[in-house]
Amino acid sequence: MGIPADRLPDETLLAGLGTGDADLSLAFVRRFQRVVFGVAVTVLGDPATAEDVAQQTFERAWKHAQTYDTRRGSVRAWLSTIAHNLAVDVLRARTSAPVDPQELPALLTAMTDTPERYAVAHDNAAGLRRALAALPAGQARAVAMAGIYGMTGRQIAEAEGVPLGTAKTRIRDGMEKLRSAYLREDVDDE
Amino acid sequence: MSEPDHMSCDDFGGAAAEFSLGVLTGRERARAVAHLDDCESCREHVRQLSLTGEEMLALLPAREPPAGFESRVMDRIGVAVKPERPNWSRRMLTLAAVALAVVACVVGGWGLRGAMAPPSGVSTAQAPLREAALLTAAHRPAGKVYLYDGNPHWLYMGVDTHASSSDTVVCQLVVRGGRVIVIGSFRLDGGYGAWGSPDPVAASDVTGARITAMDGTVLASASFPTGS
Repeated sequence: MGIPADRLPDETLLAGLGTGDADLSLAFVRRFQRVVFGVAVTVLGDPATAEDVAQQTFERAWKHAQTYDTRRGSVRAWLSTIAHNLAVDVLRARTSAPVDPQELPALLTAMTDTPERYAVAHDNAAGLRRALAALPAGQARAVAMAGIYGMTGRQIAEAEGVPLGTAKTRIRDGMEKLRSAYLREDVDDE
Repeated sequence: MSEPDHMSCDDFGGAAAEFSLGVLTGRERARAVAHLDDCESCREHVRQLSLTGEEMLALLPAREPPAGFESRVMDRIGVAVKPERPNWSRRMLTLAAVALAVVACVVGGWGLRGAMAPPSGVSTAQAPLREAALLTAAHRPAGKVYLYDGNPHWLYMGVDTHASSSDTVVCQLVVRGGRVIVIGSFRLDGGYGAWGSPDPVAASDVTGARITAMDGTVLASASFPTGS
């Protein structure tokens, strides 16, 4: 009949998920399951809890598909944000430290790595990736701790052994540089 | 203008990044919200920072979820999926071909010489053949594993994980005592693949087999009864 489901745009698959279309829903889950699980397992570390969060993410996407607004960003970013918010909620309910500082360098390397598969599949974040790679180490760590693990300025200051003001300045300066890179990208895309 | 809790645009600028990432807490957050109520330019600033934070999440590395994940999601949202895929029969035929190759080997020759040629001098004598079903974490059938305990020992597997992606997977054997031996890797095309390899241990010592993704996630496993 028409185009195979796995070649339809993200927005079409999301609409199909919202209406309960079996083929489109399955294609949607298949397209994004690695992304969603990747966010959840990065934040939580524990695959079993991450799977539950990933399942909840798709359930929310199904329930709220009609609220997705293309002007607010890509379907991928929307789903990632849902997964992230759910994972951070779980993380905050735990009493243990949100992140092992030893894990941050590997995470930042993975986020700034540019293998070919990213270049093909998702290249519109290339500027952001480069900007993150160019941040001073302290800023990159602070941005990742706040933006990925949901850590407050005070938690970051304690984890890094720096004054609270320094932690806050690192988050602000790092995020402002990323914002500039993101806006440049946005303009270039148009 | 000079209320103690009033936040200027400069003050807000220092906290905007934390606010947009959802990590500003307590009184500082309340002051920021109050400021945003009255300041269009700071709202736009926060909107841009929030979008930046969301796009940053897209930089996180993707990871293969545990086997059977998509089925569990579909169950959770109550959407029925057709149980069979269009090319299932072709895959079953190929699986059968793998099984036939093993049988052929046992009764006097190798059936799929081009695809999976055994080393020269392989024994054609009768030898014990063991088989076990590969199951995903959700206990869905994902193929079969055959162990041929002749000389040399050989392992065969036909796999269908029902995944849409094409990835390289690792074949592991679990032997008595729980030791795990990596046998090799092969590629699944659209979740499907058939593969054979010399087996470094006697079939009777093998208690299980599994295939994993390259990051170690177990995609499917099979258990061989012990003591046979």
